[in-house]
Amino acid sequence: MSVLTAFISGVTRLNDFVGRWIALLVFAMFAFLLLEVGFRYLLNAPTAWTNELTQMLFGVYAVMSGGYIMAHRGHVNVDLLHSKLPPRKRAVMDIFTSLIFFIFTLALLWFGIDMASESISSWETTYSAWNPPVWPVKLAIPVGTGLLVLQGLAKLLEDIAIAFNLDYHRPDQSISEGEQS
Amino acid sequence: MSIEILTLLFFGSLLFFLLLGLPLAFVLGGVSVIFLYFTWGFDSFYMVASQIWGTMGSFTLVAIPLFVFMAMVLERTGVARDLYRMMHLWFGGLRGGLAIGTLVICAVFAAMVGISGAAVVAMGTIALPSMLERGYDRKMALGVINTGGGWGILIPPSILMILYALITGVSVGQMFAAGIMPGVLLMVMTVLYILIRSTLQPHLAPALPPEERGTWPEKLRALRAVLLPIGVVFMVLGSIIGGITTPTEAAAMGVLGSLISAAVYRQLKWSILQEAAIRTFKLTGMIMWILFAAHAFSAAYQSMGAQELIEGMMQHIPGGPWGIIVAMMVIIFFLAMVLDPVGIMLITLPVFMPIVKSLGFDPIWFGILFVINMEIGYKTPPFGFNLFYLKGVVPPGITMKDIYTSVVPFVIIEIIAIGIIMVFPEIATWLPGVFF
Amino acid sequence: APAAAQETFTWKVQSHWPGASSSYTDSLVRLQRVLEERTDGRLKLKLYEAGALFKAQETFNAVSRGILEMGTISPSYAQDKVSLAGIASGLPFAFRNVWEAEYFHQGMGFEQMLRDEAAEHNVYWATDKVYPTEMVIKKPINNWEDFTSLKIRSSGVLQKFLTEAGAAASYIPGSELYSALDSGIVDGAHWGAAQGAASMALYEVAKYHVQPALNIAGTDVIIVSMKALNKLPKDMQEIVKDALDEQFWIRTNEYLYKERLTLAKVIAEQGVQVNVLPDDVQDKLVKAAQAMWDEEGERSANAKKALDMLKGYLAELGYL
Ligand code: NA
Ligand code: NA
Repeated sequence: MSVLTAFISGVTRLNDFVGRWIALLVFAMFAFLLLEVGFRYLLNAPTAWTNELTQMLFGVYAVMSGGYIMAHRGHVNVDLLHSKLPPRKRAVMDIFTSLIFFIFTLALLWFGIDMASESISSWETTYSAWNPPVWPVKLAIPVGTGLLVLQGLAKLLEDIAIAFNLDYHRPDQSISEGEQS
Repeated sequence: MSIEILTLLFFGSLLFFLLLGLPLAFVLGGVSVIFLYFTWGFDSFYMVASQIWGTMGSFTLVAIPLFVFMAMVLERTGVARDLYRMMHLWFGGLRGGLAIGTLVICAVFAAMVGISGAAVVAMGTIALPSMLERGYDRKMALGVINTGGGWGILIPPSILMILYALITGVSVGQMFAAGIMPGVLLMVMTVLYILIRSTLQPHLAPALPPEERGTWPEKLRALRAVLLPIGVVFMVLGSIIGGITTPTEAAAMGVLGSLISAAVYRQLKWSILQEAAIRTFKLTGMIMWILFAAHAFSAAYQSMGAQELIEGMMQHIPGGPWGIIVAMMVIIFFLAMVLDPVGIMLITLPVFMPIVKSLGFDPIWFGILFVINMEIGYKTPPFGFNLFYLKGVVPPGITMKDIYTSVVPFVIIEIIAIGIIMVFPEIATWLPGVFF
Repeated sequence: APAAAQETFTWKVQSHWPGASSSYTDSLVRLQRVLEERTDGRLKLKLYEAGALFKAQETFNAVSRGILEMGTISPSYAQDKVSLAGIASGLPFAFRNVWEAEYFHQGMGFEQMLRDEAAEHNVYWATDKVYPTEMVIKKPINNWEDFTSLKIRSSGVLQKFLTEAGAAASYIPGSELYSALDSGIVDGAHWGAAQGAASMALYEVAKYHVQPALNIAGTDVIIVSMKALNKLPKDMQEIVKDALDEQFWIRTNEYLYKERLTLAKVIAEQGVQVNVLPDDVQDKLVKAAQAMWDEEGERSANAKKALDMLKGYLAELGYL
């Protein structure tokens, strides 16, 4: 079972690593918005790029969060029934509902790749006054969704291990259950 | 398959998978994809990706991480804690004093933001621990934040009102003006409720024992705690009203204010900022993934013919003009239990508006009823944004059931408010008439 | 009639107009009625308001893939696919009258050039109408300094143009436009012309309507999936194409009429004044604009050809 454990903790670590860096984008968004206010209000010279860049960073920030949040059990659910079940039954139920999870995320991955590759093939730009390339942000859709799918797979494997009482070590508890504060 | 049966199956599946405990975002997305496959075909999944792309490009949402970050910094640096200590020293003798103080802060927050998510998350972070620590009943505390956090769409500025104006062609300025008095009405009614309830059941919102209420010098010293929050509010509101920033950019002013506050508290440390950034990322990401999927969900429902369903229903309403208005409110109420506000607008308003106008009702007045109804929808189970945002910030011991049941009295208050504004339309229509 | 001809078709149509926009009724609902009548009910359009299924920027892709049968867009939303879209969305200060742009599209063959480029993406392109884009501002422009001191809400090519001409142009999303004008974050904006500005209630907070137009162009386009079009029986394909050709003339004319009507109404009811730019300001703007046109021609050989055609035409009219 060591391969299983390694996969699960590897994916969780990957998402944790990516998330910790992407989380810092909030500082950039703050700085650029403030810069625009300064340029427009104090210098009467609004820029063509600050708000658009902020918007693009926000898009990346939002779509890349899926896997990190799943690794930290941060996607909210309705726990009326769910939390009352014993761990094995809960794992069985999660295996069943993961079908819905994968239908959504795989459809998104498929068409996200489609959308991004179309954008890359024409080196699509936004055609705004600033006119930056738009494909890096579109590429974030399949990348972010891919990270989410990986984390979903890790959770599925974990649930299967729990459901079938497989001998398996839970990955680092502090990562998957921590930071509830 | 008829749209009636599709509707039942669609929302039935939503509820089924929600109950099984799959996170909301994935339920919404997965159910959309399945139904799109059977009603429109494989290629239509492109719409799901496209809706996500569209949501990523919505500028007004940029305010969410910034306002959440602001709240995290104010909380972690102790600014928020001192504010609540001050409120407790001054109003602790009053039963429900902290809840009322929280509502006032919510109203101020509502004047700063045009959306509801940021306020709920921020107040859930700042106010909830303070109220729970001081022995407030958890449902009372949760309900107050659920309801106050939602005022952001009724008290201007409001993105929902701007959308309503765009779809129906009424004036944005008049809608904003019309929201002010109903906002005050809701505030007064909610405060009255808390005063009455905490007088009848003191254990729900206990007063501070007299010996802990503090001396006058203590009280006066504690007043310093309001200076920084007031400064932050002034930076945000001042820059909007003074024409310095758009409401979205004003969120950055809020962050600036919170950083200055942190510096005054000598807490401007990288460890605190980094932790705030990570918590902000988690909460914003959670909100955004729900929004991604919710937008796909309502687009899927519209593609199936949601509007025909509403058109069909409107042909069977008895009871004259007022019966029709009430029926519309009931339809919106039920849709708001399971759909997001923007989707509801796109589905119902094109059908409702011509009827409202032909019956001789004021579309501004109807818009206010609509917006209050959306506020109710934000907190009615099973699907309400405020509920889920709050779930994202509460301590582990608090369950969805606590959050669901906490909203009941506050929903009733808002339904009564809708009734009052129906009987006295002037509450909504008087101010716009004065301004324009 | 043969059985196949009796088959009925329902098309999903994603609009880029909100339902309250006059174009939603005048353009789309009209087309829906005309097509249903002329095909004896065999072709039905199911209309969706702005953003219901696809955002405006995504509608071209959806129609190109055949997911949607029909949609409406602005040419600027198709710029990454259609190299002529930049010229179609309007070079600043090129045409002086709407009829000139009409003749450029239909008489000189620009519309066919657009149609050919869009066809490469399986899209049938039909310009809905040609109309001016005009600014509304809070304080009048009486000289060049007045113009350069303006903060203007703009987008795309016009934002670049206004900036290069010397004003401070910035992009603010439509949902924040009204508040931004009201509180003075910007002093002016363009959102279509009179009807567009009135639909956003901009005259409540900005009382000067600036003429002449920033540009005159085929800013609204109806796009049809070729896949869907080719599925129709031959007679119905002709009906659709004829109706779209006819739509261009009817809508352009009707839109101009309603522009004047709206302007007269806001002048009478909201105290709006028309601010005609002084000659020296106009001259400077025209010079700044012409310096920008060549960039549009650099997008493709086709764009170069269209730009040369346009310049020749304007010279012929005595404007260059
Ligand atoms: Na607000
Ligand atoms: Na709800």
